[in-house]
Amino acid sequence: MSTNGLIGKSVKRVEDKRFITGRGNYTDDIVLPHQTYASFVRCPYGHAKILSVDTSAAKTMPGVVAIYTGADVADVNGVPCGWQVNFKNGDTMKEPKHPLLVSDKARHVGDAVALVIAETKEQAVDAAEAVVVEYEELPCVVDAFKAAQPGAPLVHDDVPNNMCYDWALGNPIEEVNAAMAAAAHVTSLEFVNQRLVPNAIEPRCYNSSYDATSDKYVLYTSTQNPHVIRLLMCAFVLGLPEHKVRVVGPDVGGGFGSKIFHYTEEALLTWCTRKIGRPIKWTATRSEAFQLDAHGRDHVTKAEMGFDNDGKIVALRVKTYANLGAYLSTFGSCVPTYLHGTLLQGLYTTPKINVDVTATFTNTTPVDAYRGAGRPEATYLLERLIDLAALEMNVDPVQLRFKNFIPPFDGVNQPGYQTQVALQYDSGNYHGVLEKGLKMLGYEDVRKAQKEAAGNGKLIGVGFSTYIEACGIAPSAVVGSLGARAGLFEVGQVRVQPTGKVSVFTGSHSHGQGHETTFAQVVADKLGIPMEDVDIIHGDTDSVAFGMGTYGSRSLAVGGSAIVKSIDKIVEKGKKIAAHKLEASADDIDFTDGKFTVKGTDKSLSFGDIALTAYVPHVYPPGLEPGLDFSSFYDPANFTYPFGCHIAVVEVDKETGKVQLKRFVAVDDVGNVINPMIVEGQIHGGVVQGVGQALFEGAEYDDNGQLTNGSYMDYCMPRADDFPMFETGSQVTPCPHNPLGVKGAGEAGCIGSTPAVVNAVIDALWSGGHKVKDIRMPLTSERVWNAMQD
Amino acid sequence: MLLTGKHVVNAVPAKVWQMLMNTDTLARIVPGISKLEKNGDNSYISTISMKLGPVSSSFTGNLQMEDIEQEKGFTLKVQQNSKIGNANAAIKIGLTPVADTQTEVSFEGDVKLSGMLASMGQRVLGGVANTLSKQFFTNMEKELAE
Repeated sequence: MSTNGLIGKSVKRVEDKRFITGRGNYTDDIVLPHQTYASFVRCPYGHAKILSVDTSAAKTMPGVVAIYTGADVADVNGVPCGWQVNFKNGDTMKEPKHPLLVSDKARHVGDAVALVIAETKEQAVDAAEAVVVEYEELPCVVDAFKAAQPGAPLVHDDVPNNMCYDWALGNPIEEVNAAMAAAAHVTSLEFVNQRLVPNAIEPRCYNSSYDATSDKYVLYTSTQNPHVIRLLMCAFVLGLPEHKVRVVGPDVGGGFGSKIFHYTEEALLTWCTRKIGRPIKWTATRSEAFQLDAHGRDHVTKAEMGFDNDGKIVALRVKTYANLGAYLSTFGSCVPTYLHGTLLQGLYTTPKINVDVTATFTNTTPVDAYRGAGRPEATYLLERLIDLAALEMNVDPVQLRFKNFIPPFDGVNQPGYQTQVALQYDSGNYHGVLEKGLKMLGYEDVRKAQKEAAGNGKLIGVGFSTYIEACGIAPSAVVGSLGARAGLFEVGQVRVQPTGKVSVFTGSHSHGQGHETTFAQVVADKLGIPMEDVDIIHGDTDSVAFGMGTYGSRSLAVGGSAIVKSIDKIVEKGKKIAAHKLEASADDIDFTDGKFTVKGTDKSLSFGDIALTAYVPHVYPPGLEPGLDFSSFYDPANFTYPFGCHIAVVEVDKETGKVQLKRFVAVDDVGNVINPMIVEGQIHGGVVQGVGQALFEGAEYDDNGQLTNGSYMDYCMPRADDFPMFETGSQVTPCPHNPLGVKGAGEAGCIGSTPAVVNAVIDALWSGGHKVKDIRMPLTSERVWNAMQD
Repeated sequence: MLLTGKHVVNAVPAKVWQMLMNTDTLARIVPGISKLEKNGDNSYISTISMKLGPVSSSFTGNLQMEDIEQEKGFTLKVQQNSKIGNANAAIKIGLTPVADTQTEVSFEGDVKLSGMLASMGQRVLGGVANTLSKQFFTNMEKELAE
């Protein structure tokens, strides 16, 4: 096929023109005729029985249009969970109702008790404050492990021990126990992978309307996947016919996973809009965002890694308690299992692995996928263990890795690598990224500096993390076998307009990733036309046939591949049209550089000529339809498996325990790269989020279920001046099973960076004689200082 | 949130005690108080306005004195509600004579906060509590001097 060299070029993002000049169109920018505004009455307690709700005073407040309470929606279904996990004994997970408004009891701070709709936002807020709710406080449980213990308060009365499920994967536990018992050295680590708040720039916002004459609903929503929201809301919550519901995700200011899920507010506003016959808008405040956007991580884990005398890993045993929060969020159940347990092979040849997960309900905000989702937790576990093992066995962490790495394989000449935990990796060269990382780092110089530093007031540490992740979330057969209640694929429609301009409809959704640039690059390159001639349309269920949205670094690998499949169909039909016009056989037509040419001649037609011919035919041969417009539903054969090596160098102040990140080297292999600048930007953002978890962030609940750091005053976000310039490198091991050879880059930075930084701090402490196994994240000065005192 | 502190005032315990038991005086010395009404034995209804870092609000609720030991101390049960969250506390207040003419007033308790009050401004609440207790003792000294 043709190429104009756009693939692989750092083209500047076309969408930034509107983003950086304040001309984006976000849900909160949309004001509909007869607009009303909503405000919620939310429970201030972690766990409380609702004794009474008195709306009488609120109803008389100025501007109030309607007020709904839990009693009004008692007959409406709750929001569903999209992934079924089974107990070890085969029972299905416990799935208590997640109601749109609670009526019996509230199970976490912020649980919605009533919805107030008024003429203005301020009137709605004022009236919501006038709703009087009588509560009876109940005892709380906020910790995943404690929730599973006998006697813990029950979040749902009908879920014994608060246990959503217990689950295991890998080799039989007896085999793992035997291998562990025979190991020459066992490194064990107990740690908390703390809870994080997603902190998207744009708080969630919904605007729902209903037109009685056409019996049609429109929901504008700050979502990562409009079609999925429509499907869940119509089929499972409200029972609406899908063709009567249009869901639009316009410009969305970031999600990091928190906008994948179907939230109660979306369904409730849609239910209410028909009742009042007017559009209703709700925009979360920043406090509500802290309190209610599904949180990430929150595991309590004990993990052990056994080694033989040569330093070869012989077994891995993992027991994790995962906090699901008060309700099952859309994908909450699959994060600690299928996105975490299945990644515990890492990059190593570990022959025996068993992972056991107990997932519990607690009086906290629901937990779900947050950037990386499950893979950061798995990587943190493995990479902490291996660096700690190296310290304990007094061997070099780099050599220990080289010894245990899976040998290189390209997935074409060598088969994919079958892990002990269900997955089969597509292609990998793990030695390559570590070698490149070491070269960029100047490893020996860093070790020399570490020794020299012993004399002054600082401790220097270097930490490694070599990670793998499963991206391109789709393969329907695979996710189905892992418990997904729906197949996952992506839709790409390419519509060539009569003048040769191209409209591309994609089911993946852009909320900062740069689809309008990357996808246009692919299309323009493949068709040999200028990028300006390509328009990328996404986020509207009325224009796009279907879509599964954007998460798990799937946009390009799955969505982009669907577009390529449609381009192939365009070219194939274009050849038929060209053959007819040029009086040749379609087999003899070449398509290169935007031209259809008869092989071995100078007879050719441009892409534009073919497009026009396709739409204004009058002498078509039988069997050739007019038009040039194709759709593809692409379902890949496997996940994609990006991997990489992240190295952190830190300096720890002996007097204060303050950690300063001095260098950060990242070598990522995300397969083929369409736009290197966009990939590098995604790596940078991911690294910052990952380091945020290591050094700064963490949601803290007190024993009463109160989120005690629910604002930027107390929740410490990373800032630019916390970071050195990142040193990034890349390696390319193409994905063997998708037409673009891409693997996905959105989450890599967030997955690789966290353990690298914590390992570096532990390494620094050991260099000063403090043989500390773990410090609880985030590694604040206080915690590091305390660790040095023991 | 733990709340502790003490302060020495220039008055004998009997005088300080008298002041603490007098609704009118209390209403003058408690910072931000706009309403304090006796509604039972050792029980009051109150309205207090307060600015807590980025948020300000009006609290209403009950104040109840328990375990009263004449001129020595009592436990103040606080239950206050506001649009930004609720506060519950049991604060032990003690009076100890110092020398012949002074009294050390001490307070100690755990304050349980909920809602936005708990999630916003943990960092500022300690400071606010300090400022308010200082104001309270300043007002008390002024009152005693008159």
